[in-house]
Amino acid sequence: MRLADGAHWVFSAVISNRSRSLLTALGIAIGITSVSLLTAIGEGVQQYVLESFSQFGARIIAIHPGRKDTHGAGGLLSTIRPLTLQDAAALRRLPGVEQIVPVVQGAGAVEYFKRQRSGVILGVGADMSEAWGFKVALGSFFSADLDQGRSVAVLGYTMRKELFAETNPLGQHIRIGGRRFRVIGAVEKKGQMLGIDMDDVVYIPAQSALQMFNRESLMEIDVVFAANTSLKRMEEAITTLLRQRHGRDDVSLTSQNDMLASMENILSILKMSVAALGGISLLVGAVGILAIMSTTVRERTSEIGLLRAIGASKPLILRLFLVEAVLLAMFGGVLGLLLLLLLQAIFSVLLPDLPMVFQPFFIVLALLVSGLIGLLAGVVPAAQAANLDPVEALHEE
Amino acid sequence: MANLERSLTASFMMAWADTFIFVSQVLMRQRFRTVVLWVAIAIGVIAVNLLTALGEGAKSYVLSEFNVLGRHTLITLPGKKETRGGMPPITGESPRALTLKDAQAVSRLSGVKTVAPLVLGNIEVSYAGKIRESLVMGSSRSFFALRHLVLARGQLLPERGRFKGEAVAVIGSRLQDELFAGKPALGEWLRLGDSRFRVIGVLKTSGTRFGFDMDEVVIIPVVSAQSLFNADGLFRLFAEVRHFSQLDAVKQQMVELLKQRHEGEEDVTVISQDAMLSSLQKILDTLTYAVSGIAAVSMLVAAILIMNMMIITVSQRRKEIGLLKALGASSALVRRLFLAEAGLIAALAALSGWMLSHLVLLLANNYFSDIQFHSPWWAQAASIALALGLSLLFAWLPAQRASSLAPVQALQGKTEQAQR
Repeated sequence: MRLADGAHWVFSAVISNRSRSLLTALGIAIGITSVSLLTAIGEGVQQYVLESFSQFGARIIAIHPGRKDTHGAGGLLSTIRPLTLQDAAALRRLPGVEQIVPVVQGAGAVEYFKRQRSGVILGVGADMSEAWGFKVALGSFFSADLDQGRSVAVLGYTMRKELFAETNPLGQHIRIGGRRFRVIGAVEKKGQMLGIDMDDVVYIPAQSALQMFNRESLMEIDVVFAANTSLKRMEEAITTLLRQRHGRDDVSLTSQNDMLASMENILSILKMSVAALGGISLLVGAVGILAIMSTTVRERTSEIGLLRAIGASKPLILRLFLVEAVLLAMFGGVLGLLLLLLLQAIFSVLLPDLPMVFQPFFIVLALLVSGLIGLLAGVVPAAQAANLDPVEALHEE
Repeated sequence: MANLERSLTASFMMAWADTFIFVSQVLMRQRFRTVVLWVAIAIGVIAVNLLTALGEGAKSYVLSEFNVLGRHTLITLPGKKETRGGMPPITGESPRALTLKDAQAVSRLSGVKTVAPLVLGNIEVSYAGKIRESLVMGSSRSFFALRHLVLARGQLLPERGRFKGEAVAVIGSRLQDELFAGKPALGEWLRLGDSRFRVIGVLKTSGTRFGFDMDEVVIIPVVSAQSLFNADGLFRLFAEVRHFSQLDAVKQQMVELLKQRHEGEEDVTVISQDAMLSSLQKILDTLTYAVSGIAAVSMLVAAILIMNMMIITVSQRRKEIGLLKALGASSALVRRLFLAEAGLIAALAALSGWMLSHLVLLLANNYFSDIQFHSPWWAQAASIALALGLSLLFAWLPAQRASSLAPVQALQGKTEQAQR
């Protein structure tokens, strides 16, 4: 049988049973749609989370006091081995270090005239704006040594809006935790990061924050290092320096890479399991192909007998039915992608916030997978067809 | 065709019992088809049941992990934020510390049964040359009952020293193993930083709770912890109310009291554990619904398969349908026969899927003793109802087609194409 004839034979078999083929393909289509949709959502969530994490830049190492891993709460706990501003100053002198951000975090009331708002008070260093990529929208940020311990403050977006509305905050005096601070700048809108509002903040010099909270130790020091320095070398340099200064290893280092890697790991597993969930429908769709192909083989027994009688070989019959199964499944795959397109359009109107990322690679993959499913589901029925005894098959009906 | 004749003898006034026999015979005759449909539906039912059980199991595990304080407990954190987020607030430091005096004042409120202050810190613990860095909790005797901490040996922190710094410590079980290596720890002197503390009690193993490994902690009187870390602020203040109904009232009183004590400024956050966990519970619930909903889509696929198979069956059995009708069977009866066929498969598949998922859950619960997987009744009912409902819905069209066949043409075995 020539290839063209074979193609024609298979094609007409699929076409002649239009409603049956359509319904079979629909089963696969729903499976493919749910797998692709869920993968797209998983991918979207992954990218969203990783992006909001990496907005701080990739070459950043966070130093926390205390050696033991206490689930990120390390900086909040009391310790008898403080991480001080002097440590931060010493770290800044290390070769390869570009910026240093000492961090003290707290919460309290911020007042301006009659207005009051409780928000996050963040004690940071002059490098923060550059190191974290927080652009100053108005006025200026603290200058390096000049503002250490001075009563100046920079407002986050929400804090500025709540206290000053549209008026100019520069030069005004506000009360933070009962002390007077002069506003010297405002930071642009940063939005939310993992559900935490990054704008409901007032920034003050770390030294002032330590005094306000009556603390000895910083909660964290962020080190941004130069591009030509390797992460490993930098970590070693930091550890050595702090060991010299403290007489022992009493800090823990977390690099952005560590954090991203573990985060990516978790999210990948999540994405896989979500896609596997969608796979359940695909499995049922495959059972559908198996069922329909078997029925088809039974219906066309006499036809197969005739083909065998005029010289069609067993492998040829096998091939014909396999191709039919694959064709059905691929048809389902295409249908599924169309359905996906429709759903995507609906979602973009109804749930514009839902993070979804469609990759062309996955679309090709979806088609290949659907073809593979057709192949697997078609094996049993095709073998049934190929193994029919020609004489008996001809006698049927 | 012998089956058919037998069935037909009763077909004029076919009762439900006869319908059942007729349909069973049809199903038996087409064993392969029946099995395939059976499997397709059962997969959906099993998937929905197992996934909801997984979700519910995970939920109750996570909640019990966090649910260490009991419903009667209010938690006070220093500092206040305007933003109401989903997660429990992390406030960090506050300009005005929450002090032991505040704790004493709170304990005098009429609705408050007990209070437990908490100071938390990391410190190096050493004994006979062995050093370990571990978590130090500074608190009072009532803390043990509040956190359901049970002693393996020795005694709790002294009641009389509640607001006095005594140099005594209760240690976690693993810390005892690591530092004392099998020797009795009671009465021995530990070194915390530069101070010496006498071990008076050892905790029973309880594992990680609330993010803290309770097997490796050192619990000392709160005043001792404050002087150890040279800090006068509390990390948390727990207060247990006398009656659950008073929870909100006491919460208000506490906020007012602390506001008064802090020069009129409301700079603390008071939350109940329920409030803290409710957002977590909501997230986990949504997750469970989403997961089981996705699994339910597979039932739709199975229903489409049923429809497809029924269409094929109807066209294969045109002659038989024609004969039935010629013998006087009404359209309604024919429709009923086909619907019953779909319904019977769906019911059997749903039931066996349901039983199989219970079996799997039983095994899983035996295997994992930590998490109890349990599919809620609504999910079980919904999975079975959905399987039945969708199957009947999608079988309706083919059944309708069968019932509207004209008897004569059908008897002649004319194909659909010829009819068009």
